[in-house]
Amino acid sequence: MTDQLGALTTIFTEFYYWITVVLMFLIHVGFCMYEVGASRYKHHQHTLMKNTMLIPLVTVTWFLFGWWIYWAFPTGPGLAPSIMNESAALITDESLFSAKWYVPNSDLMAVNLGDHISGVFWAAFLLFAWTAASIVSGAVIERITTFAFGILAIAIGSVFWSIDAAWGWHFDGWMLKLLGYHDAYASGVIHAIAGGFALGILIVLGPRIGKFSSSGEPRNIGPRNPWLVTIGLFLIYTGFWGFYAACNIPIFNLGPEYGMEGVTYWTATNIYVTPTTLGGITMNFLMSLSGGLLAGYVISGKDPFWTYSSGLAGIICASAGNDLYHPIQALIIAMIGVVVAYKLHYWVERTFKIDDAVGAVAVHGYAGVAGLIICGFVLNGYPSSGYGVGSMWVGTDYAPINPLGMFIGAVIMFGVLGLIPGYIIAKILHAMGKLRIPRDVELAGLDYNMMETAKKDERAVASSNR
Amino acid sequence: MATVTNWINHLSAAEVKGAIYPGVGTETYLVIALIVIWIGWHFITSVSEDKDMAQLARKKHGGNDHKSNITDW
Repeated sequence: MTDQLGALTTIFTEFYYWITVVLMFLIHVGFCMYEVGASRYKHHQHTLMKNTMLIPLVTVTWFLFGWWIYWAFPTGPGLAPSIMNESAALITDESLFSAKWYVPNSDLMAVNLGDHISGVFWAAFLLFAWTAASIVSGAVIERITTFAFGILAIAIGSVFWSIDAAWGWHFDGWMLKLLGYHDAYASGVIHAIAGGFALGILIVLGPRIGKFSSSGEPRNIGPRNPWLVTIGLFLIYTGFWGFYAACNIPIFNLGPEYGMEGVTYWTATNIYVTPTTLGGITMNFLMSLSGGLLAGYVISGKDPFWTYSSGLAGIICASAGNDLYHPIQALIIAMIGVVVAYKLHYWVERTFKIDDAVGAVAVHGYAGVAGLIICGFVLNGYPSSGYGVGSMWVGTDYAPINPLGMFIGAVIMFGVLGLIPGYIIAKILHAMGKLRIPRDVELAGLDYNMMETAKKDERAVASSNR
Repeated sequence: MATVTNWINHLSAAEVKGAIYPGVGTETYLVIALIVIWIGWHFITSVSEDKDMAQLARKKHGGNDHKSNITDW
């Protein structure tokens, strides 16, 4: 950094992502509050610790291999050649954005005066990874072991989310080239995959004791503390704003990037390096939040728990195309997503006896899938990349956004990278006897021993006179 | 361990070295240490959780027993 303007651009970008990381931390704070609010008294502290410990578990593995996967896997491998080296192999060569630079013993994975951006970009993606794992956490409360959840959190946070981001959330991803996949604010790459993964686990894990009557009728186990749920969801909204910011490149000159001779065009871009504006996405964020709240209030019969969750589901549904939608389109799409998520949640619960304790599969999974499919129709014909637009299935160029490609993309996110791996890993953990807590512990409460000790302390203190 | 002992010399070099953390060149050993810590943590917590669960399950508490342990500090 020897010229002042270049230095200013670099330091601004570094600071920009740094701020987004801080904001996104609120997502995790929100999830912790939300889950504790939704869990019953006798499981509170275990629920909190489970979600807290995913922070170090996913962080360490993100450092060891998660970040490397993102940069190595955009080609599949073997599905579409990279635009950097024209090879369909894993990207581990000397290319500028190669995974070679992000092995854990690279000197770029530390304080390095030659690279101000990689570390903070690593952190932003790590916070996305926490979010993916945290989405799963809520669905499985009150009956999963901490060990099993840790393994599953690592799998979704540092492996499968990283693969899906390489495939569909990278300027060189094969899903853009072959399918015309577009998912600017992660309807699919975070939410659909995490929802699908959670559903895969829930199929194996089974419902909480008492959730279904002997005749199979579902019973409502309502949130114990609606205020914690409320504050938690508001914090998730706030953190989601930071998430939106983190999905952009704040300042970029697209002229030379696209090979346009003599053209200078500075703008913010999305993750695919196509132009958008921070102002526009902020409008769309708020309009889709509003659409979700409006629809949720009506369809849930004014239920606060579902209304707040619907605000989130609304944003999630519109997120795939919120870099380009009109705000009113964002609002309407959000409303559709909420109706789909709410209806599917209760249909799946009744039909398959799936106990999704916080509606995570619905809010993230079903709304995310709906958002991807709708995006394929509304943005049909837009280029999926600025680097070139070709025909679908050609594989040497970028396909335009289209309904079929987005539908296939939704299946890949929810099913191939979400539900199937979640189901298989849960099955393995179940076979090892490590997935679910013993029945007697579930009845007594995971916090029983802690509560008993606290009660003894209370009695001892109360009976003391000095 | 010090990679930099004089900032003026470091920053005025023809080619400024980027990595400035202590022990440049030992990264592989640090990664091995991290993997050992990571695996060890999983092993220790898994054994501990199994023990705690088995102990609590043996007591056969009912679904409402915890209510007598709710504190009111």
